[in-house]
Amino acid sequence: MPIRSASAIGATLTLCLTLALPASTPAQTTAAQSQSAQPVLSAKDKQTVAAFDKRVKEYVKMRERVEKKMPKLSKDATPEQIEAHKTTFQERMMAARAGAKHGQIFKPDIASFIRATLKDEFKGRDRAELRETVFEAETQGVPVRVNFAYPANKEAVEMPPTLLLRLPQLPKQLRYRFVGRNMLLVDRENGLIVDYMTDALP
Amino acid sequence: MKRLIASVIAVAALIFAGVAGDVYSQKPASGQRVGATLAAVPVSLSLPLKDGSVKFLVIGDTGTGSNKQKELADLLLRYHGAFPFEFALMMGDNLYGSEKATDYKNKFEDVYRSLLDQKVKFYATLGNHDESNQRFYEHFNMNGEEYYNFKKGGVSFYCLNSNYMDKKQVKWMEDKLAQDTSEWKIAYFHHPPYSSGGKHGSDTELREVVEPIFVKHGVNVVLAGHEHFYERVKPQKGIYYFISGAGGKLRPGDVKDRSPLTEKAYDADMSFMLVEIVKDQMHFQVISRKGETVDAGVLPNQRKKTSAAAK
Repeated sequence: MPIRSASAIGATLTLCLTLALPASTPAQTTAAQSQSAQPVLSAKDKQTVAAFDKRVKEYVKMRERVEKKMPKLSKDATPEQIEAHKTTFQERMMAARAGAKHGQIFKPDIASFIRATLKDEFKGRDRAELRETVFEAETQGVPVRVNFAYPANKEAVEMPPTLLLRLPQLPKQLRYRFVGRNMLLVDRENGLIVDYMTDALP
Repeated sequence: MKRLIASVIAVAALIFAGVAGDVYSQKPASGQRVGATLAAVPVSLSLPLKDGSVKFLVIGDTGTGSNKQKELADLLLRYHGAFPFEFALMMGDNLYGSEKATDYKNKFEDVYRSLLDQKVKFYATLGNHDESNQRFYEHFNMNGEEYYNFKKGGVSFYCLNSNYMDKKQVKWMEDKLAQDTSEWKIAYFHHPPYSSGGKHGSDTELREVVEPIFVKHGVNVVLAGHEHFYERVKPQKGIYYFISGAGGKLRPGDVKDRSPLTEKAYDADMSFMLVEIVKDQMHFQVISRKGETVDAGVLPNQRKKTSAAAK
């Protein structure tokens, strides 16, 4: 059972002093800044991002056409239903995108824009840990190829939130994902690599 | 300065009211790491077991299907007999490796079958080893969403997806929290904003984004996994942070010695955490695979405390 002691009183003092921190802390300011720190885009960059958005939406439309022809996965599915749905979805999307090529969505202009954003985000000593996380992740053996599946037994590197807030936003069906220095665009349900860009990380 | 004076007065009031001793005064002394595990011991509960309280389990990084995971689950079942928690929060990495139908069975269903049969509901969050499709799984109760919230008694739970904290999720979280008047708000997700782990450590990028929101909207407790050990972090900006990520894997000796963050840590064996919220108090007990209670205590609802101090 708990005991009343000098250390307990000290700890309680610590707690209350912690609670007595001013309402606005440096961390809050930093986060608020980072959330609002959307870079001001030039007209050319806006055009680049808009064109990228359009290509992403075209993919999503195509994906929806394929998905509509499949039985819907319920919100309380069995493992068998989940596996079957993923497998079927993968096969049908691979067939539907049989001719898909690297760089069709990550065209050179958006790739340059993203590289510049990443370079800015990853610079400085405070980002060393971030780089370490990305490079040490268990992603060896992931095929960096369009229309190939991201292996289920490979780790998905956490996307740094501060970076996600700066990158062009994706619809819920798609995810950015790092594999080494490459950035992938992955479909979150069927696990297929929709496109990728090399040398994304500085 | 006024806030400081108010806090000191509050401390004095708490001490004389006999409450202060219930806070952070567990054995062994705070700041020390618990030593080697003891031999198997009988179920020993230090939670109050009050009627109408909110009782739950916190367990993370479970999905190995290993014998050790099963041993821990067996002990868990025994504790459930003494402490009938209604639901379990899973801290992510629910399925390591492949995610075929057999994996759901081998790494989850078979391991926790008895608890499932007793209608214990598991509420999962996604870890870096989990596919998004787990959100459709019947026993993870995610309702098809990667992030979601639910309420039990006076406690609101926010399950977040720390793998992918994009604008949409940040906005969802802010909107939900802003409307939430619950007495307790508990957020849980995979990556720990604060950690003394040698391999991973604090997820400062994530912290930079979520912590100001938690502070602004009065989140009381943050639970995480990812690190394969247990850690109770010293309160940060008034929030209690816990890591319970040794439900299926263990990284022995990974907690940094003399970490300024650690209130209590345990990395000598696998563990789970039991929680009971009774009105303004959160009771917790952490138990190792060998049945040793490695941490236990009572934390006050700090938001009510600051309100009282302000009056």
